[in-house]
Amino acid sequence: METSFIVKDLDLFYGDKQALKKINMELYKNKVTAFIGPSGCGKSTFLRCLNRMNDLIEGCKIVGTIEKDGVNIYSSKTDIVDLRTKVGMVFQKPNPFPMSIFDNVAYGPRCQGLKDKKHLEEIVTKALKQAALYEEVKDRLNESALGLSGGQQQRLCIARCIAMEPEVILMDEPTSALDPIATAKIEELIEELKNDYTIIIVTHSMQQASRISDYTAFFLLGEVVEFDNTKLVFSTPKDKRTEDYITGRFG
Amino acid sequence: MQVNKKYIKKNKTIDSIYKYFFMAMAILASSFIVLLVLFVFTKGISPFLSGYEYGQVNFFDFLFGLTYRQDKGIYGVGFIIINTFISAFAALIISFPISVLTALFIVKIAPKNLSKVMQTIVELLASIPSIVYGVFAGGVITGIVKDLALLFGVSTAGGSSLLAVVILLAIMIFPTITSLSISAIQAVDKDLEQASLALGATKTQTNFKIVLIAAKSGIFAGAILGIGRAFGEATAVAMVAGNKLFGPTFNPFDITRTLTTTMLAGLKETSGLDYDIRFSVGLVLMVVIFVSNYILNLVKKKVGNM
Amino acid sequence: MSTKIKDKILNTITYFASGISVFVLGAVLVFLFSKGFSTLNWDLIVNNYWSQNLLGTVDSVGGDYTISEEVDGIYSARWGIALKDNVNSQKEKVIEVTYIHPESPLKTMLSSSAGDNNKEITLEDGYTIQKIDIVTSDGIPTFTGKIMSQDAATVISNIDSAQKITSIYYKTTGGGIRSSLITTLYLIVISLVIALPIGVCSAIYLHEYASKSKLNKLIRQGIETLTGVPSIVYGLMGVTVLFPVTQLFGATTTSILLGGLTMSIILLPTIMKSTEEALIVVPQSLRDGSLSLGATKSQTIFKVVLPCAVNGILTGVLLSIGRVIGESAALIYTMGTFINDSPKLLSQGTTLSLMIWSFMSGEQPNFELASAISIIILVIVLVLNFIVKAIAKKFTKNFA
Repeated sequence: METSFIVKDLDLFYGDKQALKKINMELYKNKVTAFIGPSGCGKSTFLRCLNRMNDLIEGCKIVGTIEKDGVNIYSSKTDIVDLRTKVGMVFQKPNPFPMSIFDNVAYGPRCQGLKDKKHLEEIVTKALKQAALYEEVKDRLNESALGLSGGQQQRLCIARCIAMEPEVILMDEPTSALDPIATAKIEELIEELKNDYTIIIVTHSMQQASRISDYTAFFLLGEVVEFDNTKLVFSTPKDKRTEDYITGRFG
Repeated sequence: MQVNKKYIKKNKTIDSIYKYFFMAMAILASSFIVLLVLFVFTKGISPFLSGYEYGQVNFFDFLFGLTYRQDKGIYGVGFIIINTFISAFAALIISFPISVLTALFIVKIAPKNLSKVMQTIVELLASIPSIVYGVFAGGVITGIVKDLALLFGVSTAGGSSLLAVVILLAIMIFPTITSLSISAIQAVDKDLEQASLALGATKTQTNFKIVLIAAKSGIFAGAILGIGRAFGEATAVAMVAGNKLFGPTFNPFDITRTLTTTMLAGLKETSGLDYDIRFSVGLVLMVVIFVSNYILNLVKKKVGNM
Repeated sequence: MSTKIKDKILNTITYFASGISVFVLGAVLVFLFSKGFSTLNWDLIVNNYWSQNLLGTVDSVGGDYTISEEVDGIYSARWGIALKDNVNSQKEKVIEVTYIHPESPLKTMLSSSAGDNNKEITLEDGYTIQKIDIVTSDGIPTFTGKIMSQDAATVISNIDSAQKITSIYYKTTGGGIRSSLITTLYLIVISLVIALPIGVCSAIYLHEYASKSKLNKLIRQGIETLTGVPSIVYGLMGVTVLFPVTQLFGATTTSILLGGLTMSIILLPTIMKSTEEALIVVPQSLRDGSLSLGATKSQTIFKVVLPCAVNGILTGVLLSIGRVIGESAALIYTMGTFINDSPKLLSQGTTLSLMIWSFMSGEQPNFELASAISIIILVIVLVLNFIVKAIAKKFTKNFA
């Protein structure tokens, strides 16, 4: 199986506090990998390492390597902008920009210097269709994105992300702010997207992880306790702590 | 998406150019204070140096002198410094209790609608430019002072007097102190009040004994800002001060002279000692403000810890 | 004393303290309006401050300009002019033109003043008559008018009985604030053109880029210190630091440009503060979203952050305009106090506030005009503050 990321001995510190301890992991291409664990366990922090969003946080220090296509993304050779065009991200709370639906989706390509209007229209349409949003918004592409419902906003953020045609999509609890119906729609969407993209998702809900993911990593106190095929993790966990967590004894 | 490498590179260059551009602007903005201090200092100190082109002035005569007569070339600002302190602190003494009580009224005591109206009034008072207060002082405050003086059997110079300056400054620093006190009182922890009420204190007792004490640090900060404004206020004060030639002035009905009014008085030439000495006065003003700010901040720390 | 009574007394004291501020605001407004309201009119806004002296050649024997309607003052049907005794804004007695017939020989004349010889000049309502050269019925050339300390009635009877009028010497209306309004506008534009980019860019640097390095702390400290400097000291800085800059543009004295430059430094902290407050409110998730799409930091700032912060920047601009209109001390040093009817970038001039200063620091304070201008300033400042509040209200709604 092809790998998308190879993580080796990754440590992460916020000032003096160590938030991630010796993470080793291989993330596979065109699969859905879920990160689960109690809040504060480091799963979101680790996710943000994969497109270097932690660089924005002051006092954050990273040791170890994350290889993508054979190159350490933390080496000086890697261009951070280039990396982020290949590794897109969807956030916990829908965060559409205060501009029109069209401009939201066209934002990324435009930042890369794409100006041709026809080409942009094609990209936007394609991305909205892929995100299963096109039919709902096709008549109001020029209206503000802030007028959409929460679930629509989140799908717009996914469309915005796939407009860049990334290789990987990182999702940081993408459904935690949504109602069950909107959540179901997003989960359906993830199922479809995994044919074209590698998806790594942080989730609070174990049901969600077991429903949609191929692989699952269980995080606890900044460490990866267990990482394996989702079915195996949920049916026959190797570690006692994993078992306790998924059977609801803590967390 | 197929990314254009050349574009990314160009983009990256533009990005770092912007960063340095923003940084340069920030450095430029903050360098003005350096330029200001540097130039006012050099120019202000020049009359005391030997070889000064209009004749050297003795620094100690300047700093401790009790007469300031441009016509005779006598420049002593000692009494002016004292006058400045007297007027500013007298204004603070009048304004401080009124401001704090008004702030308490707005936040805790007034009914909601009245509180809104009062807050708007304080904001309006804050937005009136000082020159307009000057016109008001020249037309109304001087009149009141004149009548008051007659009551005591004293005659004034048309009402221009220390008292007029003090009343004017008290009015002008009122909105400053009040609005800071309002924020300070609003920031007081609700639990603290609840605790006091739970112990059987009345609402009013809580307001005066708990809320005001808890907000004292913020209220004090307002007082510091207010006195800074009182020191630096120029045009309005100049309209009612009267510019006495010697002093210091302790009689409230006598005319007075502050550092700022001295800087504005008889500004006709743009060169010569008479002009340059204004920079020395400006320098003294800045020192007065910074030193009193420093001392008051020390006091504030002490008060805050009590 | 019982607690209840004590409480009541304390509460009453706070009512009383608050009453003082109501009283002060009321007193300020009542004073300004009672003194200045009657002076407020459209002429005040459009007229020059200094009146112009004009000499016009008439050489006419008059005609018949009888009118049916009543006019103010005493009307001469032969000359088509009505005159009235009045007092001008400088409190001098004048003979004012209250009506002039459109076909009157005195309406349009050729100028015979040195300098603009043979230029067409007109006599308008509100102008004041200084002297009228006439030839009496006996053929003796003489003159009549204010310089003979005559009143309007005498002048009318003199010109009615004269053989002809040879020339007329009159003053245009002055006492207006047109030039100060223009100067104020100049100052607003100059200071904002400079302060806005510097202020906004510095705020962006401090909020979006600056780490907690020593240099950045120093920068912040410097800008905060600027806030505490009284404006009169900025005036001193203007004439020492910035005057050489204006010399590069050809300035020889203090000038509007120098005032504008000085003002721009005074405005910096205001603009920076309101910009930074607006930047703080922009949700971090929007920045993250933009960066995760591969936008660079500057792209994120220009395309996402600044559009969200535009209200805050606008607030800073409005507050700055208010500050420019109200500023006086710093400008006395940098622009002079001479009221200049044709203000230019490199000439001296007065803003509305400086004009007040110039009236009030004279021998005879002119409270009427000063109050009238104060009312204008107050109205502008209050409107600005009202808009700022309205923006703030909308702003908090957007991000709540």
